[in-house]
Amino acid sequence: MSELLVVREISKTFDTGGCPAVDQVSFDCRKGEVLAIVGGSGSGKTTLLRIIAGLEIPDSGEIMLDGERINGQTNFLPPEKRDCTLVFQDFALFPNLTVWRNVTFGKGASEDPEGLEKLMAMAEISDLRDRYPDEISGGQQQRVALVRALATKPLLLLLDEPLSQLDPELRENVRRELLALLSESGVTTLFVSHDTEDALAMADKVVVLRDGKTEQMGTPTEAYRKPANSYVAKLFGKTNLLPADLVATGRHRFEDPEGGGELVSVRPGDWRVVDPAHDSDTPVLTGRVKSIHDRGGHREILLVGERFEVVARLPLGVESEVGDELSITC
Amino acid sequence: MISLLSSPKTLFRNLGREFRFKLNVWTLSALVLGLLVFIPMAEVLWQLTDPAENWEHLKETVLGRYLKDSLILVAGTVFLSVAAGVSCAWLVTCCEFPGRKLFEWALVLPLAVPTFIAAYAYFDLLDMLTPLLIWVRINVGPDEMIFLSDFLVYPVTALVMASVLYPYVYLLARASFSRQGGQMIEAAQTLGYNPKSIFFRVALPLARPSIVAGASLVIMETLNDYGAVKHFGLSTFTIGIFRTWFALNDMAGALRLAAMLMLFILFLLFLERILRSGAKFDEVKNAIRPFRRYRLSVGGSILAILCCLLPLAFGFIVPLSRLCLWAGATYEKILDSTFVNLVTNSLSLAACSSVLIVAFATFLAFVGRYYRSAGVHASNRLAILGYSVPGAVVAMGILLVAGQLNVTFDVLLTGSILTLILAYLIRFLAVAWQPIDSGMEKNCDRLNEASKSLKSSAISSLVKINLPLIRSSMWAAALLVFVDTMKELPLTLILRPTNFETLSTRTFDLTSQAQIPESSVPAICIILVVVFPVIWLNRKMEARR
Repeated sequence: MSELLVVREISKTFDTGGCPAVDQVSFDCRKGEVLAIVGGSGSGKTTLLRIIAGLEIPDSGEIMLDGERINGQTNFLPPEKRDCTLVFQDFALFPNLTVWRNVTFGKGASEDPEGLEKLMAMAEISDLRDRYPDEISGGQQQRVALVRALATKPLLLLLDEPLSQLDPELRENVRRELLALLSESGVTTLFVSHDTEDALAMADKVVVLRDGKTEQMGTPTEAYRKPANSYVAKLFGKTNLLPADLVATGRHRFEDPEGGGELVSVRPGDWRVVDPAHDSDTPVLTGRVKSIHDRGGHREILLVGERFEVVARLPLGVESEVGDELSITC
Repeated sequence: MISLLSSPKTLFRNLGREFRFKLNVWTLSALVLGLLVFIPMAEVLWQLTDPAENWEHLKETVLGRYLKDSLILVAGTVFLSVAAGVSCAWLVTCCEFPGRKLFEWALVLPLAVPTFIAAYAYFDLLDMLTPLLIWVRINVGPDEMIFLSDFLVYPVTALVMASVLYPYVYLLARASFSRQGGQMIEAAQTLGYNPKSIFFRVALPLARPSIVAGASLVIMETLNDYGAVKHFGLSTFTIGIFRTWFALNDMAGALRLAAMLMLFILFLLFLERILRSGAKFDEVKNAIRPFRRYRLSVGGSILAILCCLLPLAFGFIVPLSRLCLWAGATYEKILDSTFVNLVTNSLSLAACSSVLIVAFATFLAFVGRYYRSAGVHASNRLAILGYSVPGAVVAMGILLVAGQLNVTFDVLLTGSILTLILAYLIRFLAVAWQPIDSGMEKNCDRLNEASKSLKSSAISSLVKINLPLIRSSMWAAALLVFVDTMKELPLTLILRPTNFETLSTRTFDLTSQAQIPESSVPAICIILVVVFPVIWLNRKMEARR
């Protein structure tokens, strides 16, 4: 497998604001990979995506797609000539065209009608061909947008917040369908999301952005399990940031940017209750239960000790009351 | 324009990008076309660097008078227009009284009456004040009477102009009030403000940008007018240009005057930009909900009805009835075979101009938006300046360019229909560009990106996506241009081919020959042709909110 997309030191500052929206970002993406760019709002992830699509021109840096320089100091390939297609957050379906005319709009989309029919069948939109975009549901609109993009047979598919427009109860299903469709078509995909769950569920590789700068690059599990810093740790879900000496030595640790020494990120589900007398090899945290929240299948317990405040997710079997003393380890 | 104001570094970077990455057949032709439209105006401005021989003389004798009359007339017209426009807009959007619905649309009707026709309909307004003058002479003194009779011409002219120009302010203020309605005004109501303080402390400050925009349209129209001020005997800049040119045969002096007028208007535009610096702040994001209007008492209702009836009567009912009365007496004399010619001339000229100008504006707006080119954006801004420039100035610019073309390439452009249509293009491009550009901004920007990303060509985006989606904006633009072309006088007067007459030039010619009752027939024709598009456009504006 070879690098399909190479992004080198891309920077972009908008005319209106002082801070760079994207600051010296570099990463690679291999053929067939699904890469996620995650970050909070204003982290520059959508700008980066638009730069790759050719809709924004970066101030500096270069981008190679399949060996061709599409952005450089002296050249810029306009979006309509790039072999990558962007699916917009709001889908940007053409409201005046039917579903069929939408999916056949792109260049070369109608050259392979059989392939397109197959794609539409896979996305379950074959029955909608004569409907207009405002006559179909949000999930269907998304699949139409996706098929419309895939129909141009891009080398690289770009997705901007692919699931953010959907209801929470739909997301799980759509995510599964999306993943199936992507792996079926085998297209290299780059998507941005503020939701790290999307990245964990779909991506082979993840780039974490913050204020336009790369914070971490690696597999989603790495980012979840071995965050480079507290920002990444928090971005990937509820966590406890503890001084390293309170936790077993084997765990991944990182420098506290505020100078508090080394920190460790422990997810709430990583804790188990122990008897402090028996288990003496690993460091044990003992404190008082400050609050208990029932979460259906489990309970979330806030445990407060001298040097820590920890949220632990414990099974319902653990009998404990507010004010009790409890020992846990991870 | 914004990119022109940003720091030199970003400007340099943007320009560099522009040249390297965004230069293609589309952007290049849009740039060239935009600049071509601007050339006549630039040439007029350029005259300021040229020492005209009679200029010193003009400056000493008449310049002060032109300046004084223009300023007083503009101030008076703007004051009256804003007073009438804002108060009617407030009553119609925020109060409930019998006839409100009728007034809501009827108040735009005066827009169908060109200023010069309003002036002819009120040709004897000054004479009606003679008893007052006599009274002053008897009771105060002859000097005071002369002073008063010199002075009265200003308020009378301003009143006549404002009675047909106030709809500009009314339309924009009404839109602003109804945008605010649901949220701001309800919020102020719950905070315990009474209607009076809501108007002065919430609604009026929020509507300020819209009112300023409306007032600046009134200023442009006032400075553009030739027929009305000529009739009442004021000496504004436009009058000065005509007089210096045709009566004194001093082309250089007239050009110099035109250049000064243009400079003055550029200054006004600059001022408007500053005053409107926060123009975005009356845009309420959420959907507009209907809100409960203030129910007026019987006395309040009567006052409100009077307040709305007054401008409507002054700007439409009275002039139209007088014209109809005169037309009844003179139509047999005027309606002959040449009159049919006149109507077809006017209609086909307006229709051709509309088609051409809308096509031109669509192209310029599309290229600027599709390629997001700062260069095209800037040249578009220059090209639409023509709307702020009085017709007489545009005409001078065109003649200047035509003269140079004649000398260098031996092409004769003057005195042809084509030149006239090109002049309309320069003058009314903004009228079409504005709705089309904002229609594209609202409907097409995002979709253009999608279509680019799908590797589709610019032409297919234009034909398949943009044109179908902005069809209604294009209709509105075409109608606006049609209305403006039908009403246009000074430009047509100067540039029409010999023996080519339109309804408006015939109206003007007849009144110049002191045949005001006879002029009523073509005048009524103009109003009738224009009033239906005006009503339709107003409906469309209301439907949008």
